[in-house]
Amino acid sequence: MLVDVSLTIPAGQRVLLAGPSGAGKSTLLRAMAGLLLTADHGELSGQVLVGGREVNETPGRVGLLLQDPLAGVVAETVGRDVAFGLENRLVPRDEIWRRVASVLAATGFPYPPDHPTAALSGGETQRLALAGSLVLSSEVLLLDEPTSMLDPASAQLVRDAVRRETARRGTTMVMVEHRLEPWLDFADRLVVIGRGGELVADGPPHEVLNREGASLAAQGVWVPGLPTPELTLVEPGLVEPGLVGFPTCQGISPGAAEAIMTADGIRVTRRASLTGSRGTQIVALDGVDAALRQTHALAVTGSSGAGKSTLIAVLAGLQKPTAGQVTSADHLAPSRRRGRERRPWKWRSLELGSRLAWVPQISESGVVASTVFDEVMATSRALGRDETQASRRADELLEALGLRHLRAASPYHLSGGEQRRLLLAAALVHGPQGLLLDEPTVGQDRATWAAVLGCIASAQSAGAAVALATHDLEAVTALAADRLRLEHGKAA
Amino acid sequence: MARLPDEDSLVRSHPRSTLDNVPSEGRAASAANDVPSGIGPLALLGACLLPVLGAFAIHAAHVGLWGVGAELLALGWLARDPRGSLKLLAFGILAAISIAVSTYLYGGRHLDESAAAALRIMYIVLPSALLTPVIRPAELGDHLAQRLHLPARPVVAAVVALQRIDSIGEQWRQVQQARRARGLGLDGGVARRFKGSASTAFAVLVVAMRHTGSTAVAMDARGFGAATARTWAGPAPWRWGDSLVLCLGIGLALLPWLM
Repeated sequence: MLVDVSLTIPAGQRVLLAGPSGAGKSTLLRAMAGLLLTADHGELSGQVLVGGREVNETPGRVGLLLQDPLAGVVAETVGRDVAFGLENRLVPRDEIWRRVASVLAATGFPYPPDHPTAALSGGETQRLALAGSLVLSSEVLLLDEPTSMLDPASAQLVRDAVRRETARRGTTMVMVEHRLEPWLDFADRLVVIGRGGELVADGPPHEVLNREGASLAAQGVWVPGLPTPELTLVEPGLVEPGLVGFPTCQGISPGAAEAIMTADGIRVTRRASLTGSRGTQIVALDGVDAALRQTHALAVTGSSGAGKSTLIAVLAGLQKPTAGQVTSADHLAPSRRRGRERRPWKWRSLELGSRLAWVPQISESGVVASTVFDEVMATSRALGRDETQASRRADELLEALGLRHLRAASPYHLSGGEQRRLLLAAALVHGPQGLLLDEPTVGQDRATWAAVLGCIASAQSAGAAVALATHDLEAVTALAADRLRLEHGKAA
Repeated sequence: MARLPDEDSLVRSHPRSTLDNVPSEGRAASAANDVPSGIGPLALLGACLLPVLGAFAIHAAHVGLWGVGAELLALGWLARDPRGSLKLLAFGILAAISIAVSTYLYGGRHLDESAAAALRIMYIVLPSALLTPVIRPAELGDHLAQRLHLPARPVVAAVVALQRIDSIGEQWRQVQQARRARGLGLDGGVARRFKGSASTAFAVLVVAMRHTGSTAVAMDARGFGAATARTWAGPAPWRWGDSLVLCLGIGLALLPWLM
């Protein structure tokens, strides 16, 4: 994974760690925190010293923010979660709550300490995890894509908080990021890991980028100042909607493209229970209208917690609306004894799987098979598609998304960005009419970003209807998507 | 727990400006530590466990009936989560019925004896069904460590594990959602459903295990691995209500013996 990487980081230095998706950035970060031994597979050699001593012998000096914020939640309420590290450091109770309140304010966290952690969205959980790391004022802070799930405004807030907190204390910082631009004037050093896990560049950010910008961009690094990469389109046959007996829209002009799914006045409420209390009612969506149109893309944007994922799940037939209607086009609806069933949340799993595809925000819970190849084939097999034909498509899609070499690997051993691409391949391979994607571009480097959006755009122009929840405005532009901005569960 | 502020609209309509929601220190502490009933988790746990001692003395149906009635009176007012309690109670009732039926069929067909056997089970199950949904893991941890002085590390590990149990329901939902979208969901005939449930359970298990690994890393990253002692963000007060509930528990342990 990583090959002979040696770094000496002076105290107080702020290092940006970049490199292509799957290069081993997160692994290196874990190694630096002295946490590689505990929960990983593979072989490890080498050592990490902090101030001349083994990192494991000097606990508490290094703080780490993991890439998957959900796994980092250790308490039922926001306050107790942030307090966790302080408790371990023997901070007295009064001081704990003072510091919890101040760090929540500093990171712009919108809820009080007694808010249940189960009620947070992905982006909010990410900010909570950051607050939990910052509150410890460690000497060394390691951050793994701390803003990957945030909208631009929240990301700015988080960047400001990180700058302020680390500058105040002279914290040494190593941060993994794909998007370098916002951090450039803050970082002292840019370290780039190559595709083979080797060190390919190291130096002051501007110098490194000036000297090796072109070659780094070719390796997938988001070199600031370069234009958005060209999408890597795939052959339409590979992603064309292929439901038997369903009219594809060839020859239909984009303006006349038909809505395959319409949502009217959608309201979704749910309960987030704290054990021992009756729970809090959450209004995730309130009176939202949306439509999925063939050859069109709908980009659902808005700050974290605005209801983006819920709307995508409603359109994907995975969430029953509390009020309002979500209905499919008549010819897409499966037949029942009493006519056609147009409500997608009533569809049987096979009916749903053959018509719509969904890529979840948290990739790990979306894994259904034990190898990458079987993962991509799962739906085609369930639908009884021709194995040879399906496996040809599967392999070509894996190739297009840069995963072919991982064909026999376990989906759980992939990096965050790779897992996301895998689930996209698994969603596209059987040719669904509608593609519902939750943050499809998170964790992607320049090249894989172009590949991901290339696949989506190809499916779109081949006749699929696309909706994506995203905060990636370049992706919205690249797909020429219609925009629907949500704010607190309402269209803004 | 003090009621969450304006419970209906708490989440989405909470003011988002950063200044508005810096809580006062006192509120933060109390919000994290009061149970709706105002009774601490140790007394509640005591009231769950003590009646078990009384169950041994239930030898006739009338003792059992009086006992279960007394339990409802003594502990019913502490229940806060009727749905959760009913769910737990359903399991208890199922167990009680099966014991009663087998006692009746194989124990000489004595109606009174089999009713007593069933009521013995109910006497044990009822307090837990009423009270365990009220006990919050975090608070239980605070009290176990600070009041009973149990070692900190196992207590924290247990609290995190208890919270995980809660999140397994959510994980089940997520995994099932993903499987449904992929055409592998639970519908169709009984056999298919059964097979689907098994795969879902397996997937949830895998995700839970992987999460546990990552959570361990995240906990260590926040200094848990190195901490031999720790402080507790929540206090563990013992109030007069706790003494009262504990006395009720002792009373329920004695009652069947005195009848």
